Amino acid sequence: MGFFMAGFKTKHKRKAFVMCMLCVLVLAALIVRVGYLMIGRSEHYTYLAEVLHERERDIKAARGRIIDRNGIVLADNETVCTVSVIYNQIEEPERVIEMLSKELGLTEEYVRKRVEKYSARERIKSNVDKETGDRIRNMDLAGVKVDEDYKRYYPYGSLASKVLGFTGADNQGIIGLEVKYEEYLTGLKGKILTVTDARGVEIEDVGEKRQEPIAGGDLHISIDVNIQQYATQLAMQTYETKQADSVSMIVMNVNNGEILAMADVPEFDLNDPFTLQDIWVQENVEEGEEVPSEQDLLNAMWRNGCINDTYEPGSIFKIITAAAGLEESVVTLEEGFHCPGYIIVDDRKIRCSKVGGHGAQSFLEGFQNSCNPVFINLGLRIGTERYYSYFNKYQMMNRTGIDLPGEAGTIMHKQENVGNVELATISFGQSFQITPIRLMATVAGIINGGNVVTPHFGRYVISEDKETIEEFEYSVTEGIVSEETSEKMRYMLETVVSEGGGSKAYIEGFEIGGKTATSQTLPRSANRYISSFLGFWPASEPQVMALVIIDNPQGMYYGGQIAAPVVKQLFENILPYLEDMDYNE
Amino acid sequence: MKEQHNRRRNAYKAANGHFDFVLLIVVLFLVAFGLLMIYSASSYKAGLDYGDPAYFLKKQLLSTLIGFGALIVTVRIPYRLWKELDLWIGLVGILVIPLVKIPGLGVTANGATRWIDLNIVTVQPAEITKLCMIIYLAAVIAKLGKNIRTRKGLMIALIPPTIAAILIYAITKNLSSAVIVMGIAVAMLFVALPNYKVFVVSGIAVIAVVVGVVLYAVSGSDVESFRLLRVQAWLHPEDFSTDKAFQTLQSLYAIGSGGIWGKGLGQSMQKMGFLPEAQNDMIFSILCEELGLFGAITVIFLFAILIWSCMVIANNTEDMFGALLVVGVMAHFAIQVILNIGVVTNTIPNTGITLPFISYGGSSIVFLLIEIGLVLNVSRGMREQ
Repeated sequence: MGFFMAGFKTKHKRKAFVMCMLCVLVLAALIVRVGYLMIGRSEHYTYLAEVLHERERDIKAARGRIIDRNGIVLADNETVCTVSVIYNQIEEPERVIEMLSKELGLTEEYVRKRVEKYSARERIKSNVDKETGDRIRNMDLAGVKVDEDYKRYYPYGSLASKVLGFTGADNQGIIGLEVKYEEYLTGLKGKILTVTDARGVEIEDVGEKRQEPIAGGDLHISIDVNIQQYATQLAMQTYETKQADSVSMIVMNVNNGEILAMADVPEFDLNDPFTLQDIWVQENVEEGEEVPSEQDLLNAMWRNGCINDTYEPGSIFKIITAAAGLEESVVTLEEGFHCPGYIIVDDRKIRCSKVGGHGAQSFLEGFQNSCNPVFINLGLRIGTERYYSYFNKYQMMNRTGIDLPGEAGTIMHKQENVGNVELATISFGQSFQITPIRLMATVAGIINGGNVVTPHFGRYVISEDKETIEEFEYSVTEGIVSEETSEKMRYMLETVVSEGGGSKAYIEGFEIGGKTATSQTLPRSANRYISSFLGFWPASEPQVMALVIIDNPQGMYYGGQIAAPVVKQLFENILPYLEDMDYNE
Repeated sequence: MKEQHNRRRNAYKAANGHFDFVLLIVVLFLVAFGLLMIYSASSYKAGLDYGDPAYFLKKQLLSTLIGFGALIVTVRIPYRLWKELDLWIGLVGILVIPLVKIPGLGVTANGATRWIDLNIVTVQPAEITKLCMIIYLAAVIAKLGKNIRTRKGLMIALIPPTIAAILIYAITKNLSSAVIVMGIAVAMLFVALPNYKVFVVSGIAVIAVVVGVVLYAVSGSDVESFRLLRVQAWLHPEDFSTDKAFQTLQSLYAIGSGGIWGKGLGQSMQKMGFLPEAQNDMIFSILCEELGLFGAITVIFLFAILIWSCMVIANNTEDMFGALLVVGVMAHFAIQVILNIGVVTNTIPNTGITLPFISYGGSSIVFLLIEIGLVLNVSRGMREQ
């Protein structure tokens, strides 16, 4: 400084220098300030600026598929497109309007309104098929955007509709397995962070940050499409020929609870679940009658009778009474009974299905004949307290824990309210209600050596990159009956088919066990019946069990007459196939 | 006279002949840089608003060409001529301000009437006033000689710029231009007067007032006057992010997100409509965002060279009028650069000041180049002494 200052001969030169130095010093200070902002505060302001500039857009994750035990896809994803326009990027509005209305089949007026609307991004149409979407994209008109999206697609339409369930607009499960396994199927959304200008318009050439979505896991289930198709066909055929209200059919592996088929016709179209099927459309609503809302009707259409509804099991329930009696040793197969066609309990006369009575018969014959007085007698011998302890032991009061939402519980008399009359009716399967799946699970336990399995569909979930995410395990309640009783029950049930009321389920060369049931629904005066048949194979070492329930058949209504042949037809079709498959490994 | 001989031997003059090329090159560089930044900062918005990304660039390019034409003319007219016209020039500098109020001539934008329309270009009278006041002050101070130290001398020198400043503020509501006019006057008097005392005292007084106002604003007085809010917004920009400090905060986002190396030329995000006046008062922020700390330092450095060159020319000019002209121009540049960068970095409260040569502004660049022409003219005269 002194060097410079010394050179100044006049004061004003010195002061010009001082002023200049002051300015330079201030500039230097400003450099420090700028440096502080650009280094010290850089992170802070960069973050704030990014928050300001970035818009987040979700990328949908592909939903996991649902796959049958043979690897056949039952619920898949279809790529669909959403077509939208960005006002500020459109260069030739007339061409865009013309092209979009033509390609998308929309009125010109509709498209024009949206194209000419001043907005950041205007959606023209969603769920456009991929082919059309690709065509529109390839035209490469400025301002027209085609985004790909997933839509659930069910290749088999209505097959197993009430089991699989479907998804809503947001691709979230609404009923069935789609709901139950939502967490595995849904996947993880990805994100596109796009950069926008102050108006919110995306800036194209700025690199976007992508966080890739993670596809949901594929759910492998126990259903076998072939068996499911046979079962559904048979159920549908029965539904039509018997003009029934509904026909339910379940095919289950008795040893591990895997359900091979579950049909509950009429089913509905999974690809169009919100349209009421014809039978649900209300015609000629009578005056004063309450009109159900469309949502109520849809819920009724989606209802799975196999698990959501209870019914009076009727004579099939005699299996439970028989098993309890044998376990308690209050009866033997050879013991003689006499049936006069009715039995008097307290002061009530309860009729046998055979008006003239079965006369003299052994307990085994009574079982084959499905004789009510024999079982009333047995029920009264066991007594309420013991009966209820078996009821509990056989898991009859608990839900099965099947992996479908909305399983109904058992509706049973309170033990303290059970007198002889109630006990008598319970003994042959009336005056209480259970779900078909509950009945099946318990009977399976009785005949498989005493293990009550959990009926289920879900087997394992596999990620997109073929890694096993989860293998499901299900609880088993062991030892509900002794092996001896179990063996006796198998024998008894086989004779029902070979010699008794289930003879219509007999197949030459296959040892089939089974039990028929015919129950009258309430009110008894309506003369509505539910016919059912439970069959299993092979009788001596059961593997597979089928239950068919025909609700309100017209004409002939005896289970042995109309339900047993259905199971026979099913077994005729699937048993040779099952022998090859060897599902028990 | 002996001093003059000493000066003549100065190596600086020998090397440069009769023209200061350093100054000219720095100015050319800044102008070119300015055009580049104007295009970068304005193209996105210009494309959207006017359908032509080069809209602002083209207008600025035209003004720049006019400015260089004016510069060449100024360099060719001997600067001493202006000394004789001092009173007229002072009068023009004052009378040009009310022109904005003449219907059909005044142009109103953003709620302020600051421009006059000359059909081809719009001119901001304040720019003319600044130039006129520099010439007027240099002339009267040179003519007054030692008499400048008298009360009467001070009056003669100070009253016209004061009137001009008051008019600029009262008529065009342009506080910053008024401050610049007064700043130039004070700076020129600082150089002309031998003592420091009065400047140091008034400097301290100004600082005291500023500190007082800030403390008053901070003390949370519920007098919510406009200026106090401005002070509050200055101190806590993030609390006033939607209104008072919106522009400042957007500017800080731009500067801060530039980092050391910047995002690269043309890569600013803040110019996409986030930062108001991106190509104008706030162009330095965009420069920081795109070119980083290095770009910012380079530009500040160029201005420092410009100011330094002016000082060297002034101190090598024996003619008092010429030297003071250069000092006035130097003060003008220094004040605008410092205030502009001060504003965009939120070092001082927000007030509209453009960055010389770099900000968009037609009349501004013309008059700035005329001022450079004057300085070059003076530098040319150094040898003839």
